[in-house]
Amino acid sequence: MAAVPRVAVVQFPGMNCEAETKLALEAVGLEAEIYRWNRDPAGLDGFDAMVVGGGFSYQDRVRSGVIAAREPICERLLTLAGQGRPILGICNGAQVLVETGLVPGLQPGRIEVALAPNRMTQGGRVVRRDYFCTWTHLRLVTPPQRCVWTAALQPAAVLAIPMAHGEGRFTSATAGLFEQLAADGQLVWQYCDPAGVVSEDFPICPNGSTRATAAVCNPAGNVLAIMPHPERASWLRQVPQDLPGPWGAARRAAYGQAAALAAAGPGRGIFASLAQSLAVAL
Amino acid sequence: MSAGLPLTERRFAVDAYADDAALSAALLAEGVGLSPFEARRLAELLGRNPTWCELHLFNAEWSEHCSYKSSKPTLREFLPTSGPTVVLGPQEDAGILLLGPTGDGDRWGIVIAHESHNHPSQVLPTEGAATGIGGIVRDVDCMGAEVIAVADPLRFGDPSGPQADRTRWITAGVVDGIWQYGNALGVPNLGGDIVFDPCYDDNCLVNVVALGLVRESRILHSRVPEQAHQEPYDLILVGKPTDDSGFGGAAFASMDLDEADEDTNRGAVQVPDPFLKNVLLLHKANEAVRDAAQAAGAAVGMKDLGAAGIACSSSELCAAGGFGAWIDLDRVHVALPNLRPEVIAVAETQERYLWAVPRWFTPTVLRIYNEEWDLPGVYEGAQAAVIGEARSDKRYVVTCRGEVVCDADVDTVTAGIEYERVAAAAVWDEPEPDVRGGDLPGRLLRLLASPNIASKESLYRFYDTEVQGRAVLRSGEADAGVIAPLFDRPWGAALTVDGNPRYGRIDPYWGGVNAVAEAMRNIAAVGATPVGMTDCLNFGNPEVPAQFAEFRESVRGLSAAARALWLKDYPGEPTPFVSGNVSLYNQSAAGRAVSPSPIVACLGVIDDHARCVTPQLKEPGNALIVAGARRAELGGSAYYQVFHEAHGQSVPRPDLNVERNLIHGTIDAIASGGVRACHDISNGGLLVTVAEMLIGGWGHGTCGAQVDLAAVPYDGEETAALREQASAFGETGGFVLEVQPAQVAPVLAIYRERGVAAAVCGSVSATPTLDLGPAGAVSLDDLRGAWLGGLPEVLG
Repeated sequence: MAAVPRVAVVQFPGMNCEAETKLALEAVGLEAEIYRWNRDPAGLDGFDAMVVGGGFSYQDRVRSGVIAAREPICERLLTLAGQGRPILGICNGAQVLVETGLVPGLQPGRIEVALAPNRMTQGGRVVRRDYFCTWTHLRLVTPPQRCVWTAALQPAAVLAIPMAHGEGRFTSATAGLFEQLAADGQLVWQYCDPAGVVSEDFPICPNGSTRATAAVCNPAGNVLAIMPHPERASWLRQVPQDLPGPWGAARRAAYGQAAALAAAGPGRGIFASLAQSLAVAL
Repeated sequence: MSAGLPLTERRFAVDAYADDAALSAALLAEGVGLSPFEARRLAELLGRNPTWCELHLFNAEWSEHCSYKSSKPTLREFLPTSGPTVVLGPQEDAGILLLGPTGDGDRWGIVIAHESHNHPSQVLPTEGAATGIGGIVRDVDCMGAEVIAVADPLRFGDPSGPQADRTRWITAGVVDGIWQYGNALGVPNLGGDIVFDPCYDDNCLVNVVALGLVRESRILHSRVPEQAHQEPYDLILVGKPTDDSGFGGAAFASMDLDEADEDTNRGAVQVPDPFLKNVLLLHKANEAVRDAAQAAGAAVGMKDLGAAGIACSSSELCAAGGFGAWIDLDRVHVALPNLRPEVIAVAETQERYLWAVPRWFTPTVLRIYNEEWDLPGVYEGAQAAVIGEARSDKRYVVTCRGEVVCDADVDTVTAGIEYERVAAAAVWDEPEPDVRGGDLPGRLLRLLASPNIASKESLYRFYDTEVQGRAVLRSGEADAGVIAPLFDRPWGAALTVDGNPRYGRIDPYWGGVNAVAEAMRNIAAVGATPVGMTDCLNFGNPEVPAQFAEFRESVRGLSAAARALWLKDYPGEPTPFVSGNVSLYNQSAAGRAVSPSPIVACLGVIDDHARCVTPQLKEPGNALIVAGARRAELGGSAYYQVFHEAHGQSVPRPDLNVERNLIHGTIDAIASGGVRACHDISNGGLLVTVAEMLIGGWGHGTCGAQVDLAAVPYDGEETAALREQASAFGETGGFVLEVQPAQVAPVLAIYRERGVAAAVCGSVSATPTLDLGPAGAVSLDDLRGAWLGGLPEVLG
């Protein structure tokens, strides 16, 4: 019997989602270990995949993720990513991967996009700014096999996932970059309504992100930076009862049944995709 | 060691002042709030003039904030604090209530603590609110618990009144402080409430409640273990380097706010830093130390540093175990050069803890903080350092630069001081307004848009409700927030807060009763069972007899309700208060005090959170049941406020035996499985409750309803107009339940057996309208627009 694949949950000071990220990985049968930033970076080589979780690394000093991205451990992530090792960045972790130059990674190591402060718009008019926490719906807009972290999902899957961030607006100084990413299948998840219709308008798109982008992968598809939190939607219990759409309906249908609520939630598919990919690789 | 060092000559010459006025002036010049009587008492206890360090230490220890000198006798007289759900009562930084058995002979407890940060938030809203969360989270953490939730009861001035600009600035600033700090900390926000009222124009109230999860066997006590009689125990200070922030903070919190003195006031507010706290907390460095201590068999004690800093924490940590202490201020890591000894000793620099550990274990503690978690590397000047030791002789000695700057009996330091204040109740003589009938739809829309009833979504969307992945019901989603503390069990912990200043203004006793009853109704409305409470008692000046009477009457009301609304599974056993806080002197220099504001937080538990319900209507065809008879009790209502600009007299005066049966009946009804939605009747009355069920907590509702007001249970013989308006908008406690047709008879039977009036008063429809029959109708879109748009309109 093959050994259980091991995933490192990389922890920088100020991060705060390590525990639930570890639980979400264990729920799909993987082994997970929280890996402190000041441990030997070479130790990461012994893991089959890495997740950089959410929080406020280094207090979001200067801008989110930028200081953590200068840590030796991120150089190692760059190397391992180049070797095809799966890496997921969630929220602040996504910001770290962007600042490390892993995502979109057209030229690995170069910062090509930014996760700018939220600026919610309706018809181009700014209606709100700053931190926001809510449940969103995401639509898978690349073929599932394009990315390690979506491989086990159905094409055009719609997931209900919560977001909670102040700087999650994908943007770039390079004109046409997101069109190119979309054409190349690197634009993986977009914000949509419960029926799967994508919109850049608030509240469907909760942060004003370019092309309603919620997640971007690297050209090889092994590295994904996602702003909403799949680990907080790993059990059906976590889905709000009054949420519109099929996930809310599933939650309401499970009313009163503890076992049904302990079943997989919408975010589970992201981690299950990794588990499936690693099992194939092993 | 301290032996042989001389006592400093820097002393405050109490005996040089013959008259009180001169002494008082001299104390104030030194920034000390002690009264002349207290200063003389201090000199008498010490047998000499106090050193400046002692003066500032006792200034903090004898402040209202630390000593509860005015409130303690009243609290002792009235509040029930023990019972079968209590794991730890109100003797340490936080209380602990029973969640359930672990299955391996231990018990899971929910730690609960409740604090205020009112004065700082009025002066510097963002920093004040942030440090409020910081303090409460430290209180829970240092019990050995994982901090799993916070909630914020907030009280602001009238956003349309004469101080509107300032109120809006404070509101925005406080919300910023809560999200900027709480979110970074990684503790989910489970709700809270917001009330706007002119009585808070000069004094906002920023309370904060925190919950933690702990195994009983792993509770960490705030005392030096008795092993310190046999072997040396070090005192280790951990965290930020000490600076001069918050110097005098405890005394500041116990004074009237003088707006003219803002610069001084600001200096007394601490500087928050969630980053370092996150590194210390939550599965991190503190827990690593606790695990290491457990593994090594080291008996340890821990206390957070809050009011009066090192001096207060070290003296209390040691005194609680029956020890004295020696503190060497030269070993304290500081952020600024040349700090005076009294500043190092009592400054309230945030993000610090104090450990008492056996000396052989000290290197492990220092290694975990300073090397593994690299505190000096992640934050300039932060570290863990030994600053002293416990001593068996019960002397509390502080040394600095070759001198003894404090030398007192430790029990004298921590004993505090008490006063018997005089109470003389004022009479509330406002007449009852004349109620006019009619216009239910129009009045409903105006009430829905009023700031105290309108959705708070524009504010709470700043709060991270999802971190830790424990959320079941979140801010705004239902009457109480619910989390699943354990991932492998379906248990739920429900938390709510309540307190309505308009009731307390009319009658502080009934204000207290209603705060307890409403908090319990909120818990019952989601299906959970109340197991205990905390209170934060926000009042004016206890030296003013009318204001002290308000305090006493409110506490008497809290007590009466806690005893009559007893624990559901233990008839006759009061629902206990396991923790709390008293915040007095919430008045401006002009003498304007807040109205009686006892704020109650209630914790409920449910053995299967799959049964928790929200208010949003689920399925057309279901029946709407109203439980609890309406009465002509419009006193203090939102209705009187909005349509009569008045309070009246007829505050809700629940029959507490009926109220208990109403609450317990609702818990049973939801447990029976036939209830699909539930919402309690409170602010704005029955029609607001029903409208909110149509709209849904987050505004996602799609169903309509038909309601027949004539079918609503009513208790009284009033005129038709009053009966109609009281039925529609009266705030007498009750519930509206959405019940599947087959379950209607069993649910009604549950209430009938308990002697509670309940009746089917309408039904859920697929047409998105609230249809009141002959009284008119309102569309769901209009209801939603009024309720969601009300607050942004007022706050801008």
